[in-house]
Amino acid sequence: MSEKNCQQPSVANETVGQFTDRRPLTLRVVLTNRWFLHGVSLTVFFLTWDFLAKSGILGGGSSALARPLEVLSQLDYLIDNQLAELSLWGHLWASTQRVLLGFTLAALMAVPLGLFMALNRYVNAIVKPLFDLLKPMPPISWISISILWFGIGEGSKVFIIIVGTFVPCLLNAYNGVRLVEPELYDVVRMLGGNRRDEILHVCFPASFPAIFAGLQISLSIAWTCVLAAELVSARSGLGYIIVQGMNLSQPAMVMGGMVVIAAAAFGTTMLVSALERKLCPWKRKIAGL
Amino acid sequence: MEAATQAQTVKIDCRDVSKTFIQKGCQEVPVLERISLQVQENEFLVVLGPGQCGKSTLLRIIAGLETPTTGTVSLDGREVSGPGSDRGLVFQGYMLFPWKTVLGNVEMGPMLCGLPRNERREIAMHYIRLVGLENFEDHYPHQLSGGMKQRVGIARAYANKPKVMLLDEPFGQLDAQTRVFMEQETERIWQTEKRTVIFVTNNTDEALFLGDRIVVMEGKLPGRLQTVHTVDLPRPRDLTDLHFLEMRKDLIDSSVLTL
Amino acid sequence: MSAYQEINVQTPFALKVLPVVSVTVFFAFWQFVVTTGIVPETMLAAPTTVIKLFFVKLFEADPDGALLQEHAWVSIQEAFSGYFLSLLVGLPLGLAMGWFNVAEGLARPIFEIVRPIPPVAWIPLTIFWFGIGLPGKIFIIWIGGLVPCVINAYVGVKMTNPTLIQMARTYGASDWQIFRQLCIPSALPMVFGALQIALACCWTNLVAAELLAADSGLGFMITMGRRLALPEMVVLGMFMVGLTGAVIGLAIDQVEKRLLAGIRR
Repeated sequence: MSEKNCQQPSVANETVGQFTDRRPLTLRVVLTNRWFLHGVSLTVFFLTWDFLAKSGILGGGSSALARPLEVLSQLDYLIDNQLAELSLWGHLWASTQRVLLGFTLAALMAVPLGLFMALNRYVNAIVKPLFDLLKPMPPISWISISILWFGIGEGSKVFIIIVGTFVPCLLNAYNGVRLVEPELYDVVRMLGGNRRDEILHVCFPASFPAIFAGLQISLSIAWTCVLAAELVSARSGLGYIIVQGMNLSQPAMVMGGMVVIAAAAFGTTMLVSALERKLCPWKRKIAGL
Repeated sequence: MEAATQAQTVKIDCRDVSKTFIQKGCQEVPVLERISLQVQENEFLVVLGPGQCGKSTLLRIIAGLETPTTGTVSLDGREVSGPGSDRGLVFQGYMLFPWKTVLGNVEMGPMLCGLPRNERREIAMHYIRLVGLENFEDHYPHQLSGGMKQRVGIARAYANKPKVMLLDEPFGQLDAQTRVFMEQETERIWQTEKRTVIFVTNNTDEALFLGDRIVVMEGKLPGRLQTVHTVDLPRPRDLTDLHFLEMRKDLIDSSVLTL
Repeated sequence: MSAYQEINVQTPFALKVLPVVSVTVFFAFWQFVVTTGIVPETMLAAPTTVIKLFFVKLFEADPDGALLQEHAWVSIQEAFSGYFLSLLVGLPLGLAMGWFNVAEGLARPIFEIVRPIPPVAWIPLTIFWFGIGLPGKIFIIWIGGLVPCVINAYVGVKMTNPTLIQMARTYGASDWQIFRQLCIPSALPMVFGALQIALACCWTNLVAAELLAADSGLGFMITMGRRLALPEMVVLGMFMVGLTGAVIGLAIDQVEKRLLAGIRR
């Protein structure tokens, strides 16, 4: 097995290339090729799914699992028809709205606060203990009290999302500033900058990658929170679709909802990644998922 | 002739500079002891010493990033009280801003002074050309090799038009051949635009190649000045020249190393 | 870089006092807001009410059917079962995926499909499959803990120093030997990171699972508090969830410190 070569950036006075061995096309090469294995894996996955759904092995008979094509046709149905006065896109938009609203509000509050905490020791001393007190409580555990306070409307759902996304945003902004190389401040001082220049020209840009990592984590948490809130009490949204599927014993609807929410979460994460690549071109990627 | 050479002014004046650091547990660590040094205008002064002898601390005190426990440092007669743009510092670890291109990095100093965009771009391009990186101004630091990064560091410090250039073991992280190349580049750059330079290193050849005067520090803490050698060989220096080799032997013999 | 850093031996008095003041003001404000009726008692309970309930619940099963410690114990049991299962499956899978091409080729597409689905979304399916009982909850917790385990183990193996791998090859080590003797120990710091993250995920998902379908446990207690309009029960439940999670996290921290004492991260 050959180690994969990581992409190396071009260095001006060296020639660097990606070296690939030319190997004869034997059966072994084909069997261990990545894409072949991916294809095999996906095929087996869908076939197993179909088999399990058809044969009703997983308790509950036919209402335990829906076949892949059934899920697709159910989604198609939801696009054309309405469930509780909204089509699939309407529900998707309802959930996305809540996520975007909560996420934006939380980020707007948490990131400046985190930066401020890292820059000023006194603010840190005041806020950090409260933050540490409230941090261990999972956002989902706030659902009940949120419903007590805001009822079952939009407010309680957005509140949960804010609670959930606040923590990673603040933590990453805080750590992003704390982990800045201290000598960079020396550089700015030697070039004639003052404290304000230090903050503006070193703290902010240097903490961008960390802030973006925080935003990505927050976004996945936001989708989880909105789903949980909608599962508990909602009249619209992807969680509502799933709950309806559960109440009507229609696994196709449940799984359809799961697929759409996975796609939505994936899509928004890709968007933030693309934004990060645009804004932080200097950040090098380590091998990862 | 005589009168002209005597007109050299003293640029940097260190008087009885000492520095003691307080480690945790209230333990005192004396790093420098009674250093007195004078640097003439447009002189290339090299501070030579092995690792951990306090020479970097001395440079940082002159830069204003540390304050001396006793003694004073003055530039052009005025006491140094903090970092400032009249002294430029080139760091051992390059310390380039990774989120800015080469041009952005070099422009940093003029930008902090408030110069308008085209003026500072002109200044930056001039110094980028001076260090030999003309076609790389839109590259990011992670795309450059070590020698190129350090050249950016030098250009960045120069672009601020400091009175004194301070270099803290700038080539310590480079391989031997790149290091020789960079020494020659430094010589060339300095000859093109003369400045007062204080250069800290642990490499004897480098010191002899570059320096007008070499200040040798003792090899143990607290750091003290040991000897001062004047090098009046013609520039650029030949590493195989007989006089060069004699001075080299003198220098190596006279350093006291304690491990 | 300066060889030594000057360390301020004296922290200013204000910095030592401010945290205490801050927390005290917070609780005092909370108590004030409820006692004076600015916030009605149906919406928020005063800290004193919560503390009173805490002591009461230690001995009385009313009104939700179990003592506080029984709820806590049920939750901890569920959480740990799911947690250990996810470690058991996720860590070896992630480690294998990081090194063996075949493992990655086969497992990755399925992982990438499952990964964006929030664990909470699986709840209705588990109700279909397992009903409202222990297995369903453990499944949710297990799925929740799986993802961070796999990711961290994978990245841990990928970050093995390639020079060490090349060195092992020159000694004639086989793929499996390199994996066992080099990749796995190299990945240990990341694996311990996974332990912490997976625990947090498992704990969160436990609460979610219990909120929706349960008859005991801390999440259930929170839901009952809402249904019975007893905000002090809700707050007590939230606080207990947070406290338990924090304590277990600290315990793992201590274990990690002992086991990884010599390794520099």
